[in-house]
Amino acid sequence: MADTPEAIKKSVRTYLFVGGILFLGTIITVLVATVPALDVGGHGFDAWDCVLGLTIATIKASLVAFIFMHLNHEKKAVYWLFGSGLCMVCSLGFLTALAIFDPIKDIFFYSGR
Amino acid sequence: MEIPYVVTPRKDTGLFNSKIAIWLFLASEVMLFGGFFSAYVFLRLGADYPWPERTLPVLPGLINTFVLIGSSVTVVFAWASLKLRNWRNFQIYMGITVFCAVIFMVFKGIEYNVKFQHQALRLKDYTVIEGHLGYEKEGEEYVLDHNDKKIEENLIFIETSKLTFNTVRFHKPWVDELLTQAEHHKSKIVLAADVTAITEEGKPSTVIAKAGEQLSNMLLEKIQKEHLAARSHNGGERTEALRGEWVKAKAENPGKKGWQIASTVNIDVAALTPKLLTEISSVAFNVEPPVRFDFYPRDVKEADGQSRLRDDTVIDGKLLESPMVFHHVDAIDFQHLVMKAKVKGIDPIVAIESSWLIKNSPFAKEAWEWHKGEVAKLEKELLDGYGLGKDNKPKRVPTHKEMYRIGWKDLGKKAESEGNVKLSFMDTTKEEFFGPNYDARGDETFPGFSVPREQVGFAAKFTPAWNTYYALYFTMTGLHGLHVVGGALVLAYYLFFGRKMYLENPEWLANRVEIGGLFWHFVDLVWIFVFPIFYLM
Repeated sequence: MADTPEAIKKSVRTYLFVGGILFLGTIITVLVATVPALDVGGHGFDAWDCVLGLTIATIKASLVAFIFMHLNHEKKAVYWLFGSGLCMVCSLGFLTALAIFDPIKDIFFYSGR
Repeated sequence: MEIPYVVTPRKDTGLFNSKIAIWLFLASEVMLFGGFFSAYVFLRLGADYPWPERTLPVLPGLINTFVLIGSSVTVVFAWASLKLRNWRNFQIYMGITVFCAVIFMVFKGIEYNVKFQHQALRLKDYTVIEGHLGYEKEGEEYVLDHNDKKIEENLIFIETSKLTFNTVRFHKPWVDELLTQAEHHKSKIVLAADVTAITEEGKPSTVIAKAGEQLSNMLLEKIQKEHLAARSHNGGERTEALRGEWVKAKAENPGKKGWQIASTVNIDVAALTPKLLTEISSVAFNVEPPVRFDFYPRDVKEADGQSRLRDDTVIDGKLLESPMVFHHVDAIDFQHLVMKAKVKGIDPIVAIESSWLIKNSPFAKEAWEWHKGEVAKLEKELLDGYGLGKDNKPKRVPTHKEMYRIGWKDLGKKAESEGNVKLSFMDTTKEEFFGPNYDARGDETFPGFSVPREQVGFAAKFTPAWNTYYALYFTMTGLHGLHVVGGALVLAYYLFFGRKMYLENPEWLANRVEIGGLFWHFVDLVWIFVFPIFYLM
């Protein structure tokens, strides 16, 4: 983390730059969702819009986490703590996917395959 | 006692106390919000109704996103200012951050308020009507409830001749309300018959209340007291009798297990009956003369003949015309109806054109005809713009929502195309925040409409009650809003009460601000996902 006055002054410029990217990312997400000419995939909301929207959101969130929250140069303990939380969320996502793609509901299951 | 590691880091973790604490907290927060996002995915993919895609107003959400991103930058600037020992700059940046939090909550408040006022109604054939209800009037005066608030034209009227109260479950405020309404109509609610009961074992029955006595909470409580005493006494007697029978059966069948003799153990009803007291589980009152009582739809399950309140009070009487009166209809949505029709193999257009609304509302019919033309235009536009695919089908087609939902913007466009109304820039901007502007657009754009009670399937404001989408929207944005308020309070504390600490130990304050800032960034991080998921997808 930036601790010396010089390093802090330097990182202020980075914060401004990241802020700008976050604004830009938001504008792109909104334009893609609302302007038909910029719509990716098919017309209206579809999987491609979802992928694009969430990718931009993930990039924005990563910038906030790595730059504003200083995760780009933190101590090991922080990575362990935050990482374990993220792992739990991923497990939750996996459980959700299990529930949705339940093999019992699969038509192949009934047809004896 | 001096607390260690508030400024200097511990050797083993390399972190000062509060930093490790905030990261532990943030890890738990990630799991909390992650759980809600998982719930969202689960409910959306499993929804048995058309999921409301891109239904929230984007502009307030977008402004709030900018506000939060801006505040994330200023809070990190505030921390940097402290590190550089510049108190004045810290004050400015932290002040902006707190102000951003206030703006965020104001916009959220506006958004919530619009939802709380907006009425949705699903008809029995799954057509959805949206708009605003009118208010009950008597002559020229609005009818007010006990909180002096206007009552919406969504009451259920029953010409009531008899009320039967459950003596355990009756709800006192409703009894008072019934008495007030009876008095207003110059009618009386009186006991239909003498209430007699055996209140002491072995004694003859006595009259607890006489026929003709007026309804009151006191009277109901008196009967309730006798009922509960009798119920408790009778329970004891029954248990005692059963115990006696078991003892007898065991003595008569030595060596046998309980389950082997259970079927032979029965209470001797003839011996028990004289010991029992009279339980009075319900008590009937006549309404003399029968008059109209008004009930809120949420309180009553209405039916012609016998209706029932939520506290189990039975209302005998004729169900009168109780329409749900929209003063303004601002959207007609056939998406759910089409979804149901497709399951049954019915052509969507046939289903819509034979729906109750199209048959009974000339406005809805006209709007639908206009809308079909608009969809055809859009189809052509998409075909001209993107052409046909390899399978010879158009590459892009109108969405389900575009085809089967006539939203308030569509109705506005229709009125504008007919030359009925032209809105100023200010009015249009206002609509982006507050929804359809009835005053500016007038009744021609958003006319009124009465829905007979028998057509009402389910009605609610745009609250968590309406569907799982709104339930999650309010849960997640509400929880996020609470985080904004909590974070802003902490940051405001540093701003207004941090001066003393700054003078004594500036590094400690810088560490505290860093911790507050970490929480604030997390709040921003959550919103980065909430905004596209709820507003744009």
